[in-house]
Amino acid sequence: MSDEVQATVFGIIAKEANIDVAKITPDSTLKDLEIQSLDAIQIIFEIEDHYKIQMPDRDPNFDTESVRGLVETVRKLLADQAAAPPPAPPAA
Amino acid sequence: MSMDRRVVITGMGAITALGHDARATWEAMREGRSAIAPLAGFDDPTLRVRVAAQVRDYDPLKHFDEKKLLLLDRVSQFALVAAREAVAQSGLDFTADEKLRHRTACVIGTGTGGEQTNDEGSRRLYKEGNPRLHPLSIVRRMVNAPASQVSIEFGVTGPSFAVSSACASANHALAQAFALVRGGTSDVALAGGTEACITLGVLRAWEAMRVLADDTCRPFCKQRRGLVLAEGAGMFVLEDFDHARARGAEILADFAGAGMSADASDIVLPSDLGAARAISASLADARLNATDVDYINAHGTGTPANDPTETRAIRKVFGVHADALSVSSTKSMHGHALGAAGAIELLAAIGSLRENVIPPTANFLDPDPECDLDYVPNTPRERAVRAVLSNAFAFGGLNAVVALKRAS
Repeated sequence: MSDEVQATVFGIIAKEANIDVAKITPDSTLKDLEIQSLDAIQIIFEIEDHYKIQMPDRDPNFDTESVRGLVETVRKLLADQAAAPPPAPPAA
Repeated sequence: MSMDRRVVITGMGAITALGHDARATWEAMREGRSAIAPLAGFDDPTLRVRVAAQVRDYDPLKHFDEKKLLLLDRVSQFALVAAREAVAQSGLDFTADEKLRHRTACVIGTGTGGEQTNDEGSRRLYKEGNPRLHPLSIVRRMVNAPASQVSIEFGVTGPSFAVSSACASANHALAQAFALVRGGTSDVALAGGTEACITLGVLRAWEAMRVLADDTCRPFCKQRRGLVLAEGAGMFVLEDFDHARARGAEILADFAGAGMSADASDIVLPSDLGAARAISASLADARLNATDVDYINAHGTGTPANDPTETRAIRKVFGVHADALSVSSTKSMHGHALGAAGAIELLAAIGSLRENVIPPTANFLDPDPECDLDYVPNTPRERAVRAVLSNAFAFGGLNAVVALKRAS
């Protein structure tokens, strides 16, 4: 599962920021990858949509954190979700 | 032929989260009271927006009869309430004077226009599956509805239009009204901004941008977590000085100049260069030296990006005088009313000039090394105020700064 999550997150970053997925490593920061804030917001939106999770609001230092942090956050949210399924979301 | 007339402010009105008129709003700002409170009226636990600066205890029927209300989105109601107060204070009687009506302009900024009507229509159409929308939907929600309704209310027939530039709408509108009066096109202008943007659709859209604070608005301090949405309106009477003097009107302040610019760079990230160009242009337009300015009402949204950028822009323009300025963000108290922001903040500019007191930046905790000006944290400050700038820098990189001087 962990590899699947990482591969999916990397794939979303590559697609949204229009960069080669081979450039992304767990240690990359969004800043290293030259990802602008608007792209970062879209990346989070796509990850949330893909996994039906809700990421915590970003901190001001979000851009300096590594992609590993992002992947870990997704894993944790998925684990929480598996442990205690949230109530059904309201009708869209 | 274009003239170069002195323009003064002879009336002001407002309805904001801080109060239902200009005086109550200013008094709250002067005391450093914040109106930011838990979001009311939305029964949806999945909303991440926790706080807002909403206009509370507002009863439309106290201001309008039911027939009139059919025509008015909340955004136009706010504009009318504020405009009535401003006109009453100015002492102008439009009913008795046809020439005055022809010589009066009406320019009103709004960022989102009739969002309540838009939201109701969307709910009916998509949620209830009802394809029949209210027949007055268009006239309620069009962005020019507030300007049209105010022109109808007073019968003013001069140049009238809406200005929309997101969070700079009101300042851009005031700048246009100022130009019409200074240049001699009109003798009087009713101008300001209005916003009623607290709908589920707008809240969700802002939530998705991840720029909203979940606690409160703390501009320029280290713990700031974003902006807090607000609603309301501010309206003003701008008038040719000779016209005002001839009728013995009380002059609240001199509208000295305006400066505008576009960043022409990022759609959301602000540019210190673009902001600095607008600030410099306002000083030049007002024929002010940097050292004449005592107070800047900052755009000061409380987002991570705006506050250091605005600080750098102020330092670029003012050099060593930057450290002698008082700079405060009253958004810490009335929130960010988008297209009405500049109009509500003009009350702070006028109040500081008339009473020689700087409204503080409320909710301030610890300083941020990247924001190193005097932000008048938490406590109002008495000081002589000769000239004031009021900044507005919009998403989309559109900047407008207005300059006021003490009435002489």
